[in-house]
Amino acid sequence: MINEIIQTILVISAMLVATVFLIYKFVVSPKRKKATKECGHDDCGC
Amino acid sequence: MSKQINVALIGNPNTGKTSVFNALTGLKQKVSNYPGTTVDKKEGVCKLPRGLKAHIIDLPGTYSLNASSLDENVVVELLLNKTDKNYPDVAVIVTDVENLKRNLLLFTQIKDLRIPTVLVINMADLMKRRGISLNIPLLEEKLNTRIALISTRQNLGIDSLKEIINNYKSISTDPCLDTSRIDPEYFDNLKQAFPNQDLYKLWLVISQDANFGRMSRKTLDIEKFKTKSISELKRLQQKETIKRYQFINSVLKVGQTIDTTKATGLRARLDRILTHKVWGYVIFFVILLTIFQAIYDWATVPMDFIDGAFASLSHWLKTVLPAGIATNLLAEGIVPGLGGILIFIPQIAFLFLFISVLEESGYMSRVVFLMDRVMRRFGLSGKSVVPLISGTACAIPAVMATRNIENWKERLITILVVPFTTCSARLPVYLIIIALVIPEGRFLGLSYQALSLMFLYILGFGSAVFSAFLLDKVLKIQRKSYFVIEMPNYKIPLFRNVLITVVEKTKAFVFGAGKIILAISIILFVLASTGIGRQFNNADYIVRMEVAGENLSEEEIETRIASHKLEHSLIGVAGKAIEPVIQPLGYDWKIGIAIICSFAAREVFVGTLATIYSVGQDDEDTIKNRMKKEINPVSGVPLFNFASGISLLLFYAFAMQCMSTLAIVKKETNSWLWPMAQLVFMTALAYLVALIVYQFLK
Repeated sequence: MINEIIQTILVISAMLVATVFLIYKFVVSPKRKKATKECGHDDCGC
Repeated sequence: MSKQINVALIGNPNTGKTSVFNALTGLKQKVSNYPGTTVDKKEGVCKLPRGLKAHIIDLPGTYSLNASSLDENVVVELLLNKTDKNYPDVAVIVTDVENLKRNLLLFTQIKDLRIPTVLVINMADLMKRRGISLNIPLLEEKLNTRIALISTRQNLGIDSLKEIINNYKSISTDPCLDTSRIDPEYFDNLKQAFPNQDLYKLWLVISQDANFGRMSRKTLDIEKFKTKSISELKRLQQKETIKRYQFINSVLKVGQTIDTTKATGLRARLDRILTHKVWGYVIFFVILLTIFQAIYDWATVPMDFIDGAFASLSHWLKTVLPAGIATNLLAEGIVPGLGGILIFIPQIAFLFLFISVLEESGYMSRVVFLMDRVMRRFGLSGKSVVPLISGTACAIPAVMATRNIENWKERLITILVVPFTTCSARLPVYLIIIALVIPEGRFLGLSYQALSLMFLYILGFGSAVFSAFLLDKVLKIQRKSYFVIEMPNYKIPLFRNVLITVVEKTKAFVFGAGKIILAISIILFVLASTGIGRQFNNADYIVRMEVAGENLSEEEIETRIASHKLEHSLIGVAGKAIEPVIQPLGYDWKIGIAIICSFAAREVFVGTLATIYSVGQDDEDTIKNRMKKEINPVSGVPLFNFASGISLLLFYAFAMQCMSTLAIVKKETNSWLWPMAQLVFMTALAYLVALIVYQFLK
């Protein structure tokens, strides 16, 4: 019984961490890195 | 704590700067980006005599301080910004003994910034063969610096270089050229307007405006002083260059002698063959064939070993860990998912080994030259060649590399077609599918599998060039960029450099996708082990009732139950929903799920299938075997047959299956229009081609 509870907790935790990681990687992180300068400015890189 | 100094490693491209960096730092190095840019920043630590430590920064290769690209601008910005934490205590200028005259231009410019500057003359081992002799003490006197004559190939002179760096404080910071001699009147006015500033630094800040620079001029009110037009500033820059070369000529006249009779014409003879308009392409084609054949021949044994090791690991975990869902997650989800990607390490490493050898030997520059000829016929300049070739590693740096293209339309076209080139993320997908559907026979000593892989690479490059041709007609580029490339000397690749490149690239491949695959494997496993409804919860009873009349073993019944549960799990229900769309291409719902997941990164495709096929299955079987055993429930034939396999290969050859590339295209074009157009066009093309091919071959 305890083994089952512990294993379920581990799986749920792993699932949560994985989901948060993917959301951070593909949703939050790109928004943070969003370019602040528009094209045509000194450091737009064009 | 021992004192640490900043050492900037600067030099023209192809002077062996990276070899010097590797010789100084060994494997104690890290690669990142310069803040706000996408230019690679390589740093490392080197222990100097008497306990001093040097923080070595390998700056991008540049021909002068008159920046004409983002890479070169990084060098100028650092050298002009004393407040930068990486501002060098000492600059080490790496030069090539065969091109000393041209390399010294950069040396004189940096020395004029009054930074202690060491001159490194590399490739000293070639001096005798090329009939070059140098009077080092005289050169030191004339250039007013310390010189280290080294050979990274033979590991000579590195200790003496460390000793010179250690004593950097004794190096004179007197300039080589009196800046005011460029234009006495102009510089006199400049000096009066900014009496507390260094004249040459001021001049560099002003003249960068005539080029590419993004120098911050907030601290200096330079705009007020801009008394000259851009063309006049350029003329002054040219005047400065002439004055510098006059100085360099006077130094080399006494410090260097070249006996031209001793110089061999091997390089010229090799160039004539390797860049020949017919033989050049034939040789390149043969080299490609050899590479792909070797990738297959050499990687099979380590790949089979890794595959088997992961299968055994899954089995072992199930034996030693207490039974339960977390053990299953580990044995059926995470381990097969990671194994699905790690088995490709040998092939990826071999591919990068060959690419690195070609680069190190100087042959890659000849390939770029050859490709330039092809590109021009399709409406692109040679400047697009570098991004397209670097796209074979990854489309993201390749898209960034287009920043060197001045013409916007030309740059846009290159950005749009780069994702067609076969990146390393496509490689695992190609390799596993080829192994499953292409027979193992040989044609003229070359395996069909290696030929298929090479065909896919050529197809990717051909699609990029053809798309560029079409886009050129639509966007109508009026003015093409010019392309200049330096042909480095042929060299025997340095083992250490090749090894470092292979390790770095393989690490980036494994860790880049590894974390995503791990996360997706966990989620997939949970979704594949969870279900709602009678079909999932009573799978055992339903299947046993169904097979009651059949003479099946208990093992076969268990497999059917697992398969039934998977089909009615959450992932199964989602997969079934999209199955009608992909069924005409010869795929089932499991492949559909893998395609969707691989939008995060293409290599996730293999990891996803490995996880899905592992759930509830015999844990000692390898990934390849599991995929081979899959049967199409509709047709009853193996799921990965010739028709569906070719369809899948072509789908991945054309599809834009990479979120990160879309994000970088958005960033580089500053609009969602182009990445979305790219996504729609490439996906529609991939679907159409895969559909036609499957329907034709089935």
